[in-house]
Amino acid sequence: MTKKAKPAGTAKAKAKPAFIGQPVEMSGTLRLPAVAKQVPYPIEALAPKVRQQTPAVGQRATRPDARLHGLGQTKYIDDMSMPGMLYCKIKRAGIASALIKKIDTREAEAMPGVMAVITGKDIPVNSFGPSIKDQPVLAYERVFHAGDGVAAVAAVTEQIALEALDKIKVEYESLTPVFDPVEAMKDSAPKVHPPASNIYATKLIKKGDVDKGFRQSDHIFEDTFSTQMVEHVPLEPHCSIASWDANGRLTIHSTLGRITLGRTDMARTLQLPISRIRMVATIVGGNFGGKNEITQEPALAVLSKMTGRPVKGTFTRTEEFIATTTRHPIIMHYKTGVSNEGKIIARKVRLVLDGGAYCSWSETTLGKACILSPGPYNIDNIHAEAFVVYTNKTMTGAMRGFGAPQVCFAYESHMDDIAMALNIDPLEIRMRNAFHEGSSSPTGQVLHSVVVKDSLLQAAERYGWKEAR
Amino acid sequence: MKKRGRGIACMWYPIGFTVAANPSAAVVKVNEDGTATVLTGTVETGQGSLTVLGQIAAEELGIATDDVHVVSADTDTTPMDTGAIASRTTYVTGNAIRLAAEKAKEILFQVAAPMLGVKPEQLEARDRKIQVKNYPQRNIGIGEVANQAQFVMGQPALGSASFNPPTVALDPATGQGKPFATYVYATQIAEVDVDDETGEVEVLKIVASHDCGTAINPMLVEGQIEGGISMGVGFALQEEMLFDKNGKQLNPNLTNYIMPTSLDMPEIEVDIVKNFDPTGPFGAKGVGEPTAVPTAAAIMNAIYNATGARIFSLPATPEKVLAAIKVAKAKQLAKTKQLAKPKQKPKRLTAAAAR
Amino acid sequence: MTDVTIKINGELRSTSVPPETTLLKMLRENFSLTGAKLGCDVGDCGACTVIVDGKSVNSCLMLAGQVDGREVLTIEGLATPDRLHPIQKSFEDCGSLQCGFCGPGVIMSAKALLDANPNPDVAEIRDALAGNLCRCTGYTKMIEAVREASRVMRDTKSKRAA
Repeated sequence: MTKKAKPAGTAKAKAKPAFIGQPVEMSGTLRLPAVAKQVPYPIEALAPKVRQQTPAVGQRATRPDARLHGLGQTKYIDDMSMPGMLYCKIKRAGIASALIKKIDTREAEAMPGVMAVITGKDIPVNSFGPSIKDQPVLAYERVFHAGDGVAAVAAVTEQIALEALDKIKVEYESLTPVFDPVEAMKDSAPKVHPPASNIYATKLIKKGDVDKGFRQSDHIFEDTFSTQMVEHVPLEPHCSIASWDANGRLTIHSTLGRITLGRTDMARTLQLPISRIRMVATIVGGNFGGKNEITQEPALAVLSKMTGRPVKGTFTRTEEFIATTTRHPIIMHYKTGVSNEGKIIARKVRLVLDGGAYCSWSETTLGKACILSPGPYNIDNIHAEAFVVYTNKTMTGAMRGFGAPQVCFAYESHMDDIAMALNIDPLEIRMRNAFHEGSSSPTGQVLHSVVVKDSLLQAAERYGWKEAR
Repeated sequence: MKKRGRGIACMWYPIGFTVAANPSAAVVKVNEDGTATVLTGTVETGQGSLTVLGQIAAEELGIATDDVHVVSADTDTTPMDTGAIASRTTYVTGNAIRLAAEKAKEILFQVAAPMLGVKPEQLEARDRKIQVKNYPQRNIGIGEVANQAQFVMGQPALGSASFNPPTVALDPATGQGKPFATYVYATQIAEVDVDDETGEVEVLKIVASHDCGTAINPMLVEGQIEGGISMGVGFALQEEMLFDKNGKQLNPNLTNYIMPTSLDMPEIEVDIVKNFDPTGPFGAKGVGEPTAVPTAAAIMNAIYNATGARIFSLPATPEKVLAAIKVAKAKQLAKTKQLAKPKQKPKRLTAAAAR
Repeated sequence: MTDVTIKINGELRSTSVPPETTLLKMLRENFSLTGAKLGCDVGDCGACTVIVDGKSVNSCLMLAGQVDGREVLTIEGLATPDRLHPIQKSFEDCGSLQCGFCGPGVIMSAKALLDANPNPDVAEIRDALAGNLCRCTGYTKMIEAVREASRVMRDTKSKRAA
């Protein structure tokens, strides 16, 4: 680096502190503020024209946060820090099903830089869940899947917190796990949440008479489909900061997409009146359903209270996979009776959802998957039955579609098989069966604002479906 | 050898929670210069909800999108909201905001009416003015009215409202009921190339025709469709969480959990179906989740069209596609031999025999 | 402790960090440049992309000490007080970003591309962005925006030359 000549009249540079090795040109750079200059407003002074137009509906209005995103100025929770803030890391069980015999945190607590270590017993009400409250904040007596958190550490740096996790000694008594949902449905299978049955919710939709419908059909088709477990993979990992004020009021800054529910969950787990809790989100870096319930927030709050300092917890990418909700794998059995013209007369569906270690949003997923499973088709005779089953794997919860992508894969693949067998064009067979305005849904609802056929015809025209045969 | 195929898939998807109450509340404040502030408890998770909600408030008040500032995501200062989930924000929160804006507008009409010499029912808000219906020449700027309301009449123009989709609980024995207030519909057509020697599938093009009621912001709807399709492509062909025999994940990282990159995206043609749902704000419904629903089905049907191979389990990895192609070829061979024999009339046709 | 002096967004800065500190951590914590994001910390997602000596790199894979004496450009260094960078402007106009978390990384990859190749075709753009994962947008509007930005930048250059 070349040294610039010092401008005349510059004050003599202060003696450099010992820790700066390289000579730095320009006196005073040691005391300059951080590099990040806020680009002052207004930049390109006028707002884009389209945002100034009336009427507003139908405009391709640019988003107000687009400007901040492009400049890198959007503040996500992990970009925030507070004075004295501590960092939290959580020890993950690493074993799918076990009793916790003993947790020894003394060595971790004694580490320099570690300010507090907690386990499930330190959480006033150690359970939560949008419907069935079967998920512990920190697993205390029993571990239900390998990603369960069993202890949480608050330390002055993330590095120290991670090292402290290794010093926490947990004694497990291994139990027989069950991983396959069909196996888990059997009476002989190990119970994931004893004494409750592994089948923790069911749904049934019955319309007309399927058996009669099958007898009236010219052809019957049967197929079984299955889908895999996938993760939301939001680019931004889960992150929250807990802090208290002197009046005993808790503030949580969080990546949650549902702060009203989050606040209620905090009130319940910490046994606080709701007015004593404030939950703030900024912008979430991707949700897709995975940030719809609390995860580590009660633990962060307890650590913050114990240490008297704000505590931030950021999930690693590994934790995003092992310790947050996923999409339900579903095994879907379809039996459909059709006429020679491809008109669906009866449909029987049986869904088995892999419900993971905890209920989370499974009841909602079960309900939607079951209702949607016959497809957007006029069918007089329907029998759709769905089960969601506990397994000792990562909990399954809300993910973009709540079971719809899975059942759509099944009923649309099935539809094409029927079309092929009857030598009917796939577009044509759908036009013969699809909902129209006023159709009756599988639950007997009279549908309005129905445009399936429009979407079929429009897509076909855009693609050139009829021409490209 | 590369074989080309096309597949079609249609779907329906509901807006809001299944039967259960899922309200949203909102507050709209008209400032004394005619701009407005909206308070909503929802959280922006990237889909652009705050932009759309701002446009809804602006439309109701007859002002521009840029005149509205949306404040969100703080339980201390914004009213409750069931959350950005189940594709409900535009419909449920949007309705709440529209109703709140309508109440604020009523106060403006009450104040403007004597100024214009008409009854409040004769007024409408448009182009930043409060004007007389069918006689817009008689009007006052919204700023002037708002200022008059707050500082002369002592009635600041603000309104608060909530909305919950009307449903009917499902009968426990038969599941009959009205679980959702409204649904959206869509079709996607996929064009693929399948390499019948490696099993690799390349998605070349997807035509997506989606219903979202009124498209409040077509650019954001396109963004949701493109994003949803990328999730659909991943679900169809790549993504899978793998567990070892002890229940521990084998690929909890982005090195081995394969998801779509810019190289995996097909050419996408977006088509928004023209529709208007009278129960939604200005006819709008929603679009966040439906975009990820039919993609995998369309791709699987395209693979079938290209090679005769039916995939029964996702993801359709190259190994699975190759195995399915082999099964299809064997069945085709058996069928050819069968056709050579004297014909027997089949009573019932099953899908397996037909393939 | 490792002493590091770098030219960051055109300004000279020094700091001192524990030797295992990554460039990403140093940028975010020592220099308060939170534009580069931590998405995976192992170089898989590209959310931490910055430009070092003209090349786009995953800053989570570089140690702070490795950039001593080098020039680093982050998202915060693109715009000037009165002008957005053309890439930032076209990303905004095209609606290319949704949650925005991957945005700074994508824009820096795009900048590195356009600096080396002012007129890339779609395949070259896809290739340049292949190391940046995005879950929200499906990349489509990003690719449009990079094409638009390259057009604007070439136009501006030819106007200047004329």
